[in-house]
Amino acid sequence: MTQAATPGSMPATTGDEIDLDVVRAMLAHIQPGDHQEAQELILAALQEVNEHFGYVSLAAAEVVAEHLGTTASRVYGLLTFYADFRTRPRGKHFMLLCHGMSCYALGSQRLVQELKDTWGVADGETTADGELTVQVVNGCLGVCDRAPFVKLDADYHGDLTTESFNEVLRRTIDAGGSWKDADHGH
Amino acid sequence: MATETESVLPRLTNRADFETFRSRAEERWQGMWDGAGTVVSVGLDSSSIPKGADRVLAVCRAALSSSDAIVREVSGNGALWMEPWVEIMRPGEPPVVYANIAPEEVPVLLAGGLRERAVGVRAESAFGGIPPLSAHPFFRHQQRIVLQNMGIIDPWSVEDAVARGAYSAYLKVLFDLSQEETIAEVAAANVRGRGGAGFPAGIKWESGRKARVLPKFVVCNSHEGEPNVYKDRKIHESDPHRILEGILIACIAVGAERGYNYIGGEYPLAIKRFRKAVADAERLGLIGRNVLGSGKDVFFRVRTGGGAYICGEGSAMMYSIMGVRGQPRTKPPRSVEEGIWKRPTVANNTETLANIPDIITKGGAWYASIGTEKSKGTKLMTVQGPMATTGLVEVPMGITLGTLINECWGGMRPGHTFKGIQTGGVSAGPLKEEHFDLPVDFDSLTDVGGMLGSGGFAVFDTDVCAVDFARYLTAFNRYESCSKCVPCRLGNPALVEILDRIRLGRGSLADLALMERTSKHIIDLSLCGLGQVAPMPLLGMMQMYPEEFRAHIVDGVCPAGSCPIGVPQTVAAAAD
Repeated sequence: MTQAATPGSMPATTGDEIDLDVVRAMLAHIQPGDHQEAQELILAALQEVNEHFGYVSLAAAEVVAEHLGTTASRVYGLLTFYADFRTRPRGKHFMLLCHGMSCYALGSQRLVQELKDTWGVADGETTADGELTVQVVNGCLGVCDRAPFVKLDADYHGDLTTESFNEVLRRTIDAGGSWKDADHGH
Repeated sequence: MATETESVLPRLTNRADFETFRSRAEERWQGMWDGAGTVVSVGLDSSSIPKGADRVLAVCRAALSSSDAIVREVSGNGALWMEPWVEIMRPGEPPVVYANIAPEEVPVLLAGGLRERAVGVRAESAFGGIPPLSAHPFFRHQQRIVLQNMGIIDPWSVEDAVARGAYSAYLKVLFDLSQEETIAEVAAANVRGRGGAGFPAGIKWESGRKARVLPKFVVCNSHEGEPNVYKDRKIHESDPHRILEGILIACIAVGAERGYNYIGGEYPLAIKRFRKAVADAERLGLIGRNVLGSGKDVFFRVRTGGGAYICGEGSAMMYSIMGVRGQPRTKPPRSVEEGIWKRPTVANNTETLANIPDIITKGGAWYASIGTEKSKGTKLMTVQGPMATTGLVEVPMGITLGTLINECWGGMRPGHTFKGIQTGGVSAGPLKEEHFDLPVDFDSLTDVGGMLGSGGFAVFDTDVCAVDFARYLTAFNRYESCSKCVPCRLGNPALVEILDRIRLGRGSLADLALMERTSKHIIDLSLCGLGQVAPMPLLGMMQMYPEEFRAHIVDGVCPAGSCPIGVPQTVAAAAD
């Protein structure tokens, strides 16, 4: 329901940039006491992988399945149902565009349109040059007094107009860096 | 103050241990506020950090590192409009709150400048010409129970929470009250479910207590997936122990072996602060075997969601906890008979559970004295849109819509003209100025097509087109449909298609009837509470602004000027 991903669009294992040994090390602290608890921890494990790498590859999903004693198909089922997960790598920069009601009422729709028109990218997609991945938040980032609002890599930008939005994007891309510099804490 | 690394907590093995711990915490708390030293508090949460509150705190810490001043991290206080704020208590003076402080302004502020930014004194009376914070229109109508510690305690610190009364209700339930007596207080309070359904918690708990299958569970539903609500996130960020205490009390009252809190995965700070609270409670011995020697066992698990609105629905939430897709199921059996792992499970909203400690401490009758006849207590309400003082408020049930909009939230920002207020999130319709006299409670708004729901309101101005807004709300439901029931899975996309046709100026009058018919199918034939209300925002918009729909169809114009009428379709296809 959340991503355009179909089973056929899952990334191939070859050329996978996720180091599976890192995934295994990340999962080491997840030690369920029984099979029920193991099942309760699948989503949490996927969240850790998704947050660290920006997506969960097919191979990484298999590692999660193996660690928690479940099947890869069950893990894919979760990956493609829950909106927070990506099954393809992020671009260099990652933007969460808030599309909550405050942001809508103050023009986030125009920013979504601007992304399509000027940057050639829609929700969940990455620009052709691999610079920018966009995720439209079908929820609320909670900074409603500064709508419309985006989180771009580690930085927050509010009260955006189409002009300031483009300016912020250009500046961020020109400055280099990437979403990996972001503090995942907030 | 207490940070993640600092806490060295004692293991409490009986009630007297806890009392000792509490008196030490109280002593430390009172010592901090006795007026001898300087105390600087900065409100950090998910809405203030993006505005630089974390940098403001860092500058305060650096500037005062060689002094005796105490610099504390607290949470935001719900007033989004005054962030980042700094509260300064100087020797012999009450704490004064300064609004909208940038990191580079901190040195001036600490040197005694920026007096004009003082919004209020956190005390009963004015000080040096600065009125009490409680006199500000944003706070004046508030009665804070759930939010009583918000922006006051350090949310990372169990000592702060305990000094302000945390876990005293839990001890009462562990040692002094029977299960029946605890539930009787909750029933007397007549606290109704704050997630939107409004079902009385006392009745739910009693069914849970009577369930014979073991083990039983309690789940706190902290999955706020709506595009317009941020109240539960704020409770987690400001006072996590209050939620935890409410869940633990519910566990004891219904005889559940384990409590769960299911938190939306998109709330990292809320999750961090809540996990810290659980870890501290475990270290203290408030969770585990034979809690404080009471002979009662209670365990706890935190589970996080993955960003699916549907997981706010009870059965979907439980499936999500069990590690499968969150798709609702047919009822009966109700979850109180068969919930998590097919065991009896009592599920309550975060805000409901956060009310429980005070209900136990002060009594159900006290709680029932607040609010209206059928809606007791206070309600957390959030607003979105171009308001002057945007934020989260806690007001007694029955406050009028007009008071909320014009006083609590300060009316419209300059340059914006009020058009309507969307109520009930994505589950009901909008209201207009003519409804400002209505009391806001569980029942009153429903009669006119609105809904209290979980207390999220969105004000929109004259730049927002009713057709376009209806499309936005319907598109939300289309996106979030779990796709189990065909009417919801196919009906919502059909509605969006028709709305797009109208937005493009290609609609016909027959489309209005077609949308009503399609809506009826979705409402009548969907399984869960979310599918059954998915078309309500559209129907509400059609009922409240029929002339706008007609203008698009008959006159080929968008009165608000926001729809792409006459523009080629490729450019017009809007956000999904």
